[in-house]
Amino acid sequence: MSTTAWITTLQFAGVNAIFALSIYASLWTGVLSLAPVFFGAVSAFTMGYLAGVFGFSPVVGLLIGLAVGAALGVVTAGLVLRLDSHYLAMATIAMVLIGRVLILNLPDYTGGAAGTLVPGELGTWVWLAVTLGLSAWVVARLAGSRFGLAADAVREDEAVAQTLAINPRRIQLVGFVISGALAGVAGVMQASFLQYIGPDTFYTHLGFVTLAAVVLGGAFHWAGPIVGAVVFTILPELLRQPMGEYDSLVTGILLVVIIIYVPRGLVDLRRLRLLRRGPRGADADGPGASTPAGTVPAGAEPEGVR
Amino acid sequence: MTVELLAQQLVNGVALGAVYALFAVGFALILARMGILNVAHGTFATWGVLASYWLITESGLGFWAAALLGILFAGLIGVTADLVAFGPLRKRNAGHYAPIIASIGIWICLLTLAEGFSGPSAVSYPADEVPSTPLEIGGLLVLPAHLMAVVALVVVVWGVHHLLNRTRFGSAVRAVSADARSAAIVGVNARTTLLVVAFLAAAIAGLAGVLAALADNNVSFNLGEGLLLKGFAAVVVGGYGDIRGAALCGVAIGVLEVLSSQYISSGFRDAITFGVLLAVLVVRPQGLFGERQLVRA
Repeated sequence: MSTTAWITTLQFAGVNAIFALSIYASLWTGVLSLAPVFFGAVSAFTMGYLAGVFGFSPVVGLLIGLAVGAALGVVTAGLVLRLDSHYLAMATIAMVLIGRVLILNLPDYTGGAAGTLVPGELGTWVWLAVTLGLSAWVVARLAGSRFGLAADAVREDEAVAQTLAINPRRIQLVGFVISGALAGVAGVMQASFLQYIGPDTFYTHLGFVTLAAVVLGGAFHWAGPIVGAVVFTILPELLRQPMGEYDSLVTGILLVVIIIYVPRGLVDLRRLRLLRRGPRGADADGPGASTPAGTVPAGAEPEGVR
Repeated sequence: MTVELLAQQLVNGVALGAVYALFAVGFALILARMGILNVAHGTFATWGVLASYWLITESGLGFWAAALLGILFAGLIGVTADLVAFGPLRKRNAGHYAPIIASIGIWICLLTLAEGFSGPSAVSYPADEVPSTPLEIGGLLVLPAHLMAVVALVVVVWGVHHLLNRTRFGSAVRAVSADARSAAIVGVNARTTLLVVAFLAAAIAGLAGVLAALADNNVSFNLGEGLLLKGFAAVVVGGYGDIRGAALCGVAIGVLEVLSSQYISSGFRDAITFGVLLAVLVVRPQGLFGERQLVRA
């Protein structure tokens, strides 16, 4: 790949990383949600409209994206958090689908099927680095906070979390708000990088691939989604030369292999610790071993209510 | 708005819904009995259709034989997916989200291969090979594909329901889906049982795919994606404990879709469908026919 192509790819990797952090934020609280794709779409088209009609500056657009995303997060959480896991996932997928139909049918605001151009230059390295850095910093700071610990507890076992006087719904609501804010920012960044957004820019494909990136990178540490998104964005580009149209085949195979053999993802502090401790460290997996604060034991996730 | 138009659209809606419902039955089998939210299920349907298309155009097989082989081929892909990905994950006790991720991987692979295999543009079954003359029943036009979809739905729903609830094999399936280890202790071969379920589910997807391709006169690499979303919706709204609930909701979605594009707006068709879906979920989180099951405290 040429240098320009590398730079473009890395930029998209950065934006995807923010999306991945957004999905991570709700997954952290035990909620599998593709709603970030919808949040991102709304904020991107809002930004496109405002910039196109009123000439809003991109920075204002970024802040508006953040606010719109967070507000949508609250509304969505209110609607869907009472659902059980599979139903909840479906409800958020339905939101993504409805989003596409809305984009197609509100041509005055979104450009309809033809999409819309997004004026305003946010697509510089500085903006991306600062936005991604800030997003990662916020999520990383949350990891050891009261919210982070509560989120870990809720993800591992809601019932146990409840006995610890944690309100799972409330924690998940906070997760949704963080998820929404990050997705709003990512949507605006995406729009200003592409300079053009259409009905297919934010669709199920983005959601599935981002979710895959989170799990590939590691859904148990904030660095996981970033690593996953970078790997998942760069890999197809590298493979395009030798494999042509079949480049994503490797992505798919990799996904299956990783989830079977490295189920906790590439960034897994627990495994690193075990590796460093040597063969004897395997004992730490056994019953009665102390688990360091901030990490959670592996194994079956709670089945919960079916 | 004339009565004839309404009746005709109802027929079209039921036929469209029957295809969704068929797909939903297969999807529900995997989701409810194996606990896998299988995103790749739509591509199973696509591959069934592609195989049958290839058999008709390249090897000159008749439609019925080609359709049957295509359906079997879809079933084999389902079994392969289970052998390659879901089986190993089950063995490792990988938890809730791992199968979803694995199915995304399979979905990407099968979709990429399908696009490479069939090319990006849609084709259709050769017109002289497939039954396509509309029948007139009581003043209404019914396409053979529509009739076949409804008949297939009735047969499959009855068959699967009977199989699950009235036979020894059905007891085995229910035992395995409740707790594979306990089932093994009492002498159920969990592995074989699950493979048969995987085959059945994928073959039903293949059947739904062939009927969808026939009804729309459209064979393309992303044919299964639409089926997946509607089928998933039907399963979720139906409450995935009961095959019949999923089938009923599939038909309802088809009718809703056709009627809303006739009388409200064809542009907003999908938004109306999924809006109703969201509304149902918000009002009745466990689905229309689902019962809340407490698995563990």
